[in-house]
Amino acid sequence: MSSRRSSRSRQSGAARISDDQIADLVSKLQQLIPEIRNSRRRSDKVSASKVLQETCNYIRSLHREVDDLSDRLSELLDSTDSDSAQAAIIRSLLM
Amino acid sequence: MKIAKNPHTNPTSIKTRFALRFLRAINKLSNDNGTSPRPLNSADRRKRCRAIRAASYASMASAVGPNKAWSRAVLRKIRNRTKEMIKPRTRRGAARGSMNPRKELGLGQEKELRELVPGGEAMDFRRLLNETGHYIQCLRAQVQVMRKILHYSST
Repeated sequence: MSSRRSSRSRQSGAARISDDQIADLVSKLQQLIPEIRNSRRRSDKVSASKVLQETCNYIRSLHREVDDLSDRLSELLDSTDSDSAQAAIIRSLLM
Repeated sequence: MKIAKNPHTNPTSIKTRFALRFLRAINKLSNDNGTSPRPLNSADRRKRCRAIRAASYASMASAVGPNKAWSRAVLRKIRNRTKEMIKPRTRRGAARGSMNPRKELGLGQEKELRELVPGGEAMDFRRLLNETGHYIQCLRAQVQVMRKILHYSST
């Protein structure tokens, strides 16, 4: 589909990420990933590879959480009638 | 699931926008099930669990709108899946995204990340980082709202 579109940045032939992109990585993801944020404060020597790895792990754990919460919500819908489920959702919106 | 027309002019937060859509979806799901006997058998419960999960991701993508590549990719996937259910045909190019080694910059983790972020296979690296940051923030919001719903439903 978009196979032709972004070929320019691929032609650089670089097998490693540029410093520019590392800086991007570090600033964005460092704040978002609890693992990195808690263990290293303002370290400029975070390896890109580690940040990427932690990011992948974090995204996977978030996906698992969504799975688990969906499961519990499904059980909830099963056991309550729709009116009280709606009421609960509305309460959660207002608070 | 309708897409919001102007997500950036809408002042309400992403969490509220997500929660409203998710509410509508859950509501619809529980109404559709009104006629079947409760409690559901395990096959039906699994089916509903998957429907809730799908609604969760769809609601978030819809709340974000078409301005992010990842949300567009999610919405596209949902539309295609719906089309396939209506008109079954052989799936072409389903594995296309994962057979593009030339997009790698030599890090295994980058490839992994591309597979985790919707639409990640087709982006250049800088955009991938950008989209990843936003995707993570939205996933977190999604989880927080779902937790809240559960919390208020069980008290």
